[in-house]
Amino acid sequence: MQHAIITERIDMKEKFKIALAQISCKCGDKTANIKKIQKLVSKAKEQAADLVIFPELSLTGYVVRDQIYELAETIPGPSTKIIEGITRKAKMHVIFGMPELSEKAQAIVYNSAALVGPDGFIGKYRKMYLPTHSVFEEKRYFRPGYQTAVFDTKLGKIGLIICYDIFFPEVSRLARLAGAQLIVCISASPAVRKTFFEALTTARAIENTAFLAYVNLVGIEDGLQFWGGSRLIGPNGKILAQAKYDEEDFVTCDVDYADTRPVETFVPTLKDLRPELFENLKEAAENL
Amino acid sequence: MELAPSVLDLNWQEVKMKIIRFIKDYFERTRAKGIIVSLSGGIDSSTVAALSALAIGKGKVFGLMLPEKETYNAKDVKHAELIAKKFGLKKERIDITPTLEAFYNSIPIFDPADNLCKGNIKARTRMVYVYYYANRLNMLVCGSSDKSETMMGYFTKWGDVAADISPIMDLYKTQVRKLAYHIGIPKEIVEKPSSPALWPGQFAETELGIKYEQLDLVLYGLEHFMKAEEIAGQLGIGKGLVEKVKRRWLATEHKRRMLLTTKIEYRTVGADFRLPCNTP
Repeated sequence: MQHAIITERIDMKEKFKIALAQISCKCGDKTANIKKIQKLVSKAKEQAADLVIFPELSLTGYVVRDQIYELAETIPGPSTKIIEGITRKAKMHVIFGMPELSEKAQAIVYNSAALVGPDGFIGKYRKMYLPTHSVFEEKRYFRPGYQTAVFDTKLGKIGLIICYDIFFPEVSRLARLAGAQLIVCISASPAVRKTFFEALTTARAIENTAFLAYVNLVGIEDGLQFWGGSRLIGPNGKILAQAKYDEEDFVTCDVDYADTRPVETFVPTLKDLRPELFENLKEAAENL
Repeated sequence: MELAPSVLDLNWQEVKMKIIRFIKDYFERTRAKGIIVSLSGGIDSSTVAALSALAIGKGKVFGLMLPEKETYNAKDVKHAELIAKKFGLKKERIDITPTLEAFYNSIPIFDPADNLCKGNIKARTRMVYVYYYANRLNMLVCGSSDKSETMMGYFTKWGDVAADISPIMDLYKTQVRKLAYHIGIPKEIVEKPSSPALWPGQFAETELGIKYEQLDLVLYGLEHFMKAEEIAGQLGIGKGLVEKVKRRWLATEHKRRMLLTTKIEYRTVGADFRLPCNTP
């Protein structure tokens, strides 16, 4: 497995403000969703935020089923170009989700997160764990990604994961080992899974001694109700910001990377890592 | 997994709000002018009518009462009136007996002794009335099927189950009772024995051969992939009864599916034509 580490700029902020943009989407209507993104980027600007995070597949909505093939675009592509225009103008970083069309085929689609900054497109992450059980049918539509992604930005090293990835600690761990100071998890989680995500978001922050921003969708798509509850968690597991349940919300919160140091000494999970166990884990997982 | 009655406990305020959001969201997307409910005076239709009123406001929900001579029950009509009053529904009562008789008299093979076939005419006739009103008044039809009767196939295909939305279809009957209490449905409606009222003296539990308190736990066990012997053992009932419920559940899937066809072409309705139901 490889890491995509992309460097944006060296002059990095240790302290900055994040906005969690917990929105509902208009399914299949990219124009309407971009308009909403633009509006909330302006709101974030007014509140002096440096980064706005939107949910998984927020460009299109989550339940679009067969329409995914006509909605998917390359990254970079037409929609990321529009978002770039917005972020350049607002001098803002934006993370959002969209179906990504492969540049090499006509119907290979990834469930991706895009990171765009004040100087344009920075990078993307392709969801690795695609739920295909219960009400989920992601493997039917998406090809999984094969690499974790950490981007070296003006806001520090940001690692991206998407929704179900959070159930697999190795994804966040790999991002952290590649240096991620902030792990961003964009999500489209329906209500019955709230307790899982609330436990896992905290756990991933603590075990990696990293900030973790979780931004979930709200609204109802094809009968599925998304519960929201977006949150920013500090490296000590403290919930620093919490959005409302079941309705659109927009919350901002400061991140100060200096807060990581005392936690790394207090609960030194990275120092205490035992790499040899990963070999055992690999073997055991292959023989499940 | 322990099959105690507590497994069916939910946070009823959360359930109420979830259903209200669902109804309101769909109603607003479709830009309909109201919601119509076939109001029988029973617990299920009373509950969905009340939830609809709570979701979109009094005066926008229309309760259509469709009694007929053979199964006429003054108490049911009184209960339907009570719900209409309590939740501020618009209402209309139509005696469908003449329509039913016209059907009976015009079907050459009609057999008055065949309760099931005759009863299904009643359920489907009510559906025709409800959809006429919905079309004419630009309203949505809100169905009132619960999970117990849906899983058991205990409904008339294209009859009482026909609706645009079915907000309590994921709640077992005993759960609907708790939700009904929570939203203020009167006790006399919640506690009276359930009946589809397709013929005189028809009661759901007698016909199904099991009390809802047991049936719901059997169905809950099946929903959670438990084996028949495990369910029977835990509930202290015969394995044969659990197997009977399971057989009925599996045999009635045709009633819960739309338009089964055979695959001939590239993408097929009901199979791999997979589109979302997200009305813009």
